[in-house]
Amino acid sequence: MSSNEEVDQERRCFLRRATTAVGGIGLAVGAVPFVSYWLPSTDTEAAGEPIEVDISALKPIEQLTVVWRGKPIWLIRRTQAMLDTLPKLNNLLRDPNSEEDQQPSYAKNIYRSLKPEFFIAVGVCTHLGCIPTYRPDVGGVSADWLGGFYCPCHGSLYDLAGRVFKGVPAPKNLVIPPYTYLSDTLVQIGKDKEGTEIE
Amino acid sequence: MKKCLLMLCLLFFSLSVFADDAVLELEKAPIHRNDMGSVERGAGLFSSICMSCHTLIYLRYDAFAQKHGVRYDRMPVNVKWPTGAVPPDLSLEASVRGVDWIYTYLHSFYMDSARSTGFNNLLVPNTMMPDILVTYRGMQVLSQDADLSESYEHTLEWYDELTLKSPGSVSEQQFDAMITDIVNFLAYAAEPYHEQQVHLGVWVLGFLLILFVLVYLLKSEYWKDLK
Amino acid sequence: MSNVTEHATQKRERSIKRWINARFPLQEFWTKHLTHYFAPRNFNFWYYFGSFSLLVLVNQIITGIWLAMDYTPTATEAFASVQHIMRDVRFGWLLRLMHSTGASAFFVVVYLHMYRGLIYGSYRKPRELLWLIGMLIYITLLLEAFTGYVLPWGQMSYWGAEVITSFASAIPYVGKFLVVWLRGDYSVSGVTLHRFFSLHVIAVPLVLLGLVFLHLVALHYVGSNNPDGIDIKTKKDAQGVPLDGIAFHPYYTLKDLVGVVVFLMIFFWVIFYAPTMGGLFLEAENFTPANSMMTPAHIAPVWYMTPFYAILRAIPNKFFGLSAMAAAIALMFVLPWLDRSPVRSIRYKGTCSKVAIVVFVICFIGLGYVGIMPVSPVLSIMAQIFAVGYFAFFLLMPFYTSLETTKPLPERLTS
Repeated sequence: MSSNEEVDQERRCFLRRATTAVGGIGLAVGAVPFVSYWLPSTDTEAAGEPIEVDISALKPIEQLTVVWRGKPIWLIRRTQAMLDTLPKLNNLLRDPNSEEDQQPSYAKNIYRSLKPEFFIAVGVCTHLGCIPTYRPDVGGVSADWLGGFYCPCHGSLYDLAGRVFKGVPAPKNLVIPPYTYLSDTLVQIGKDKEGTEIE
Repeated sequence: MKKCLLMLCLLFFSLSVFADDAVLELEKAPIHRNDMGSVERGAGLFSSICMSCHTLIYLRYDAFAQKHGVRYDRMPVNVKWPTGAVPPDLSLEASVRGVDWIYTYLHSFYMDSARSTGFNNLLVPNTMMPDILVTYRGMQVLSQDADLSESYEHTLEWYDELTLKSPGSVSEQQFDAMITDIVNFLAYAAEPYHEQQVHLGVWVLGFLLILFVLVYLLKSEYWKDLK
Repeated sequence: MSNVTEHATQKRERSIKRWINARFPLQEFWTKHLTHYFAPRNFNFWYYFGSFSLLVLVNQIITGIWLAMDYTPTATEAFASVQHIMRDVRFGWLLRLMHSTGASAFFVVVYLHMYRGLIYGSYRKPRELLWLIGMLIYITLLLEAFTGYVLPWGQMSYWGAEVITSFASAIPYVGKFLVVWLRGDYSVSGVTLHRFFSLHVIAVPLVLLGLVFLHLVALHYVGSNNPDGIDIKTKKDAQGVPLDGIAFHPYYTLKDLVGVVVFLMIFFWVIFYAPTMGGLFLEAENFTPANSMMTPAHIAPVWYMTPFYAILRAIPNKFFGLSAMAAAIALMFVLPWLDRSPVRSIRYKGTCSKVAIVVFVICFIGLGYVGIMPVSPVLSIMAQIFAVGYFAFFLLMPFYTSLETTKPLPERLTS
């Protein structure tokens, strides 16, 4: 073997670094197919397309549950009496004015909906993902209960607009999905006029 | 090294094996797989003609096919012919039979009163499929001097055996173009990723070439130690 | 980077290494198996294929893990789930073609690797066990390839499984029972598919990895052979380094890296431009879903199994055909004890050995070719001639290797 003096260390070092860099880029780009493989496939995407729901048969106080992207979506027809409970609760709630980004802009109001009469929300507790139960019965959960949602897993409470109460484990209001009225009786869930696609 | 080459030669030589089952010499389908215009026209023809009996179930979620009329909700799923035969799904037909086979098959129908469909086919004798393209091509009959046994010698093309008796709604050239488009679409249907595959190949091989130069220089640099 | 920060970084790296080395023999491993593992300096073209097979193994494992995420091993869903991967899953087609091309590539490199061992006598003392472990790897690989080929559940998958599992029926007395036991059903069915899936993704790969590890342990214990087939450990310098040895790292790691890039170019060229290889790597008939009521006109195993399949077909008797096939593989195991030549490498063996190798290669490739083709009288005779050549190569080896005159061995490696 020749002694180190004859070796062009600079050239060697440069080549080593260049090969490492180019090889590293190759490995990183080569990982792209493996990473994107995990994204929803075209059939899964198709299954997650917006859905249309007919609400013409929905009676006052009644709840209709549909599935969209594997999650329960509630459609509830609220009476005037139910809507009247909402302003009374404001100081008992964590986020009465829906400041947190849990809803599209058109649902950022006291009713948390496009039309006050119809409440549409993702029925998943913001605590740990259980499905809360719909409890419109006044005085049903506690003596001063005016109606709302009760999560059986850890006792989180929401009012009839899906706004979370103070002092319960759930940190945020229920999520409102993007939706739009195609007609007075037909709602499209999953996509609104603004083109928002994710909930 | 030489033996390695010999082995490769033998491997490639053996590829000719797979054409053996054909009765006729297959005519080469003049398709260009990157001609997306042709594939698009083929999709249109497929949805208006072939899709009255055949499905392409694996193209259910294919955006390109859907855009050009090949939609799952319009496919004849669970259709049976009166004869009892089930028209095959054609998603992978181009991979199973090859494009030349389909091109020749669609060309080689002829009138045969002995068949319940009224048609027969040179490539698939007694085929169950009726000649759905007869209105476009026109009626073909066996030529006077046609000898079906002769075609087993792999020397005859379909047009050596068949004569056009009455012309159809399109000219011969137009008909060929039509079949080419359908075959091109079926080639797409079998491998919808083909375009991405060919495109990606250039980048991957280009990258490897650059890496080769670097790695080779690096290796030579280190191997100078041993001189 | 300034000198001060560079110095600090180096210091930190050293202390991390010290911490690890006090708890795990990382430095010792690096030295023993790479920087101070001395390999003969005259490795040629044939010495690339060991590292290539390691690379293909890694490729198969990684792409296989990914494919298993979207594959469904049931009779009703398997075929469609492969199409789902090819069409609907992002880059599914790429990963699947890497896996299917990898399967054939595995056998290309393994066969060339075995051929290297054959011509340079790498199976001779003290490397008999290394060769035996290698042969076990080859058998395991055949099993892995067979179980994997069933999974797409096309016509060739189904009928390949039907034919190969029925091999067991040739075994006297228990044959019929064995076939049903293997299949878990009275013919190949979804039950068979599901157990083959389990074997293909878990059991066989575990065995394979274990054997590859043992193969490398044995290799590093006895050291690599070389094209001259002489021992480099007998001539050492003052430090105990073989005069004809060079450090595996960086010299052979870099040389292998060059080879790997060239290999990848060929590998990816196939994936992007010829993934079916005209029906050799992916058979056209396998794009038709499995149908237990209709046998394809022509069944042949995938190319890497056809030499043995041809031996099976060359003998018109089920039991003896299968026995001959088993014997053809078994003979490769006993190769170390058949070769009686005083030299290892073909370079110094006599004319008989050289002719024998050429005949063997022609017969092996000839058998492979015949095995792909449909049965015909001419080919059956050819298969019988090739089979005789194949067996003669092994069975006559003790005679021609001990009788022929060999060339004198050199003192040191030739370049």
